Amino acid sequence: MNEAQTILEDSISRLFADSVDRELLARMEHEPWDAGLWEACVELGLPQVMVSESRDGMGGSWVEGFIVARACGRYAVPLPVVEQMLAGHLADHAGLAVPEGVAGLLPEIIPGSAIAGSTVSMTQRRVPWGRRADWFLGLGADGELLIIGKDGSRCEAETNLAREPRDQVVLQASPILARGASGLPAEAVRWLGALLRSAQIAGAAAACLEMSVKYTSDREQFGRKLSQFQAIQHHLAEIAGQMAAVDTMALEACVALDQRGLAATGRDARFELAAAKCRASEAVEPLTRLSHQVHGAIGFTYEYDLQFLTRRLWSWRAEFGAHGEWGEYLGSIAQREGGDGIWAYMTA
Amino acid sequence: MTLPKEYGGHGRSALERYVVVEETLAAGAPVGYHWVADRQSGLMVARLGTEAQKKSIIPAITSGEACFAIGMSEPNSGSDLASVKSKAEKVADGWLLNGTKIWTSNAHNATHMIALFRTDFSPDAKHKGLSQFLIDMKTVRGITPRPIRDLTGRGHFNEVSFVDVLLPPDALLGREGDGWNQVTAELAYERSGPERYLSCFLLLSELIKVLDGKASPSALAKIGAELAWAATLRNMSLSVAGMLNEGKDPSLQASVVKDLGCHFEQRLPGLAQELVAMEPTLSDSGIDYQQVLGNLMLLAPSFSLRGGTLEILRGIIARGLGVR
Ligand SMILES: Cc1cc2nc3c(=O)[nH]c(=O)nc-3n(C[C@H](O)[C@H](O)[C@H](O)COP(=O)(O)OP(=O)(O)OC[C@H]3O[C@@H](n4cnc5c(N)ncnc54)[C@H](O)[C@@H]3O)c2cc1C
Repeated sequence: MNEAQTILEDSISRLFADSVDRELLARMEHEPWDAGLWEACVELGLPQVMVSESRDGMGGSWVEGFIVARACGRYAVPLPVVEQMLAGHLADHAGLAVPEGVAGLLPEIIPGSAIAGSTVSMTQRRVPWGRRADWFLGLGADGELLIIGKDGSRCEAETNLAREPRDQVVLQASPILARGASGLPAEAVRWLGALLRSAQIAGAAAACLEMSVKYTSDREQFGRKLSQFQAIQHHLAEIAGQMAAVDTMALEACVALDQRGLAATGRDARFELAAAKCRASEAVEPLTRLSHQVHGAIGFTYEYDLQFLTRRLWSWRAEFGAHGEWGEYLGSIAQREGGDGIWAYMTA
Repeated sequence: MTLPKEYGGHGRSALERYVVVEETLAAGAPVGYHWVADRQSGLMVARLGTEAQKKSIIPAITSGEACFAIGMSEPNSGSDLASVKSKAEKVADGWLLNGTKIWTSNAHNATHMIALFRTDFSPDAKHKGLSQFLIDMKTVRGITPRPIRDLTGRGHFNEVSFVDVLLPPDALLGREGDGWNQVTAELAYERSGPERYLSCFLLLSELIKVLDGKASPSALAKIGAELAWAATLRNMSLSVAGMLNEGKDPSLQASVVKDLGCHFEQRLPGLAQELVAMEPTLSDSGIDYQQVLGNLMLLAPSFSLRGGTLEILRGIIARGLGVR
């Protein structure tokens, strides 16, 4: 990380460490919005991190995006910061100005049949914070980026396991406010969403490790600190290893994305993106199992912070595709490249 | 089911109970209220209780009115259960209880509790200074359960405080000072049941349903491997039930089954997600499969904690192997 990136990480961490606490997280499960915290994120420029400077953004790369997303995971930030950041980046990528207000990132491809003239009609499932969106953004089948107004839309509130909003949004002749070729494949929201979730998983994993080390160093049983038992040391070691592996692959995928882009043809960054989400999703199982294990019953309570992380980890594992889907993609590449070609492909 | 006929039980064998329990769990039947009483507390009373205790309690269990809580863990005594500090002092008109139990499942609904208290306070009395008490939660004064919300958001377990609780002399269960041996036997009942792997079987069957005959060969191989696990665990649980039936002590075998069983249970949600691209949900959205998955994922951490943690079970296994 260069100096500017370290400063970025420090300032985000400071904001979240000061403002995201148990009380806020618990409250947000029932009224999932906090205007003060959202304002603070906007003020810090987080939604604009990957918007070019000519459009008043920070002009950051995906490594900066990784830093933001990992911090959001680390502190279980209960707001759509990463979704807003991705929406801004995509709009910018298509040469469009980013509208004011909260973005509703549409996870599914908008088929041509849903577009009539300058309106869109379709149902999108599991839209993060769909209920709060001031506008929507999605990709059409040919990679055309659409910014869609709220008129004519309605929303059914649903949640993930951490009670983060994952709403069903029904667009009915909702107006297209702006459109433009994104130069990305139609599935880009899924690919890039998966990358952001990988970075969030890396952050939450780091927090799980930190809490586990601290707790087992404080708690005593049989007259000794838990951390002095070999069995517990092995668990901590396994948590640390999983965390490091997730972190490494997610960051590597960001670097690859900056270098190779996402083109849907040729040797772009898809291999690294798929590997990052596959690794991250698979790691959720040992990470959550072992963190809970070393905490004993206290970690299973609502009153203790671990569950704000683990319930997110369980949800994020599946969002934008779990390890099965991405593993299958990687497997199909291996099959195509063959035993002789896969090493060269991977290291290209 | 296995409780003696003369007190209103069915006098069935442990194996017969096993069959019924297996079917109720596989069908996902609601069994929470009488579960603990049927699995362990009733057996403890039948085995150790006085004639008067059996007469008053067992009929209430068999009629499904009695709900039992297990008062073992304390804030500073989890895995190291023998270090419990809650005290029961012998006084003129019975026993005077003071202390705090924690993680006590269902204590806020329970009519009864079998609880472990220290009755000998001399410094070298660790395991020998413990006794079990049979407590009528509804008539005795000074017991306050405070529900603790678990990560599912529900208040399922409790902190239970005992402040100058006066119990009649006959509230002692079994022998004074024999609490540790009694509790160990009780835990064998708790650890041996088919709930270890059956609470997750529902997910496996829902998974097979959603795959709807369209699974790839490799997916089929993975599901097949888990089915093989389920069959193995079933046979192992059955043999533990057989040992109980013959009056043998299955503590070691039960620990092995519970250890393997909880790995199976904790692994399945991950496999399900690997094979089916559907998110886990709460009850506000999703189809049955998604809700079963969501519910199970939230409960999964507790499988390797309650009734003795994985590490403690491994310690028991290691001791059984003669290495410690
Ligand atoms: C859902 C749920 C329901 C429960 N219901 C009940 C109930 O009804 N009644 C009741 O009495 N209790 C109940 N419990 C409590 C349960 O029995 C305890 O959680 C368990 O015994 C562990 O104790 P602890 O939570 O204090 O963890 P700790 O003992 O503090 O252990 C924390 C971690 O350290 C490890 N550890 C401790 N000692 C050692 C060692 N010597 N070597 C290696 N590792 C070690 C543990 O294995 C664990 O991983 C329940 C727990 C849960 C989660």
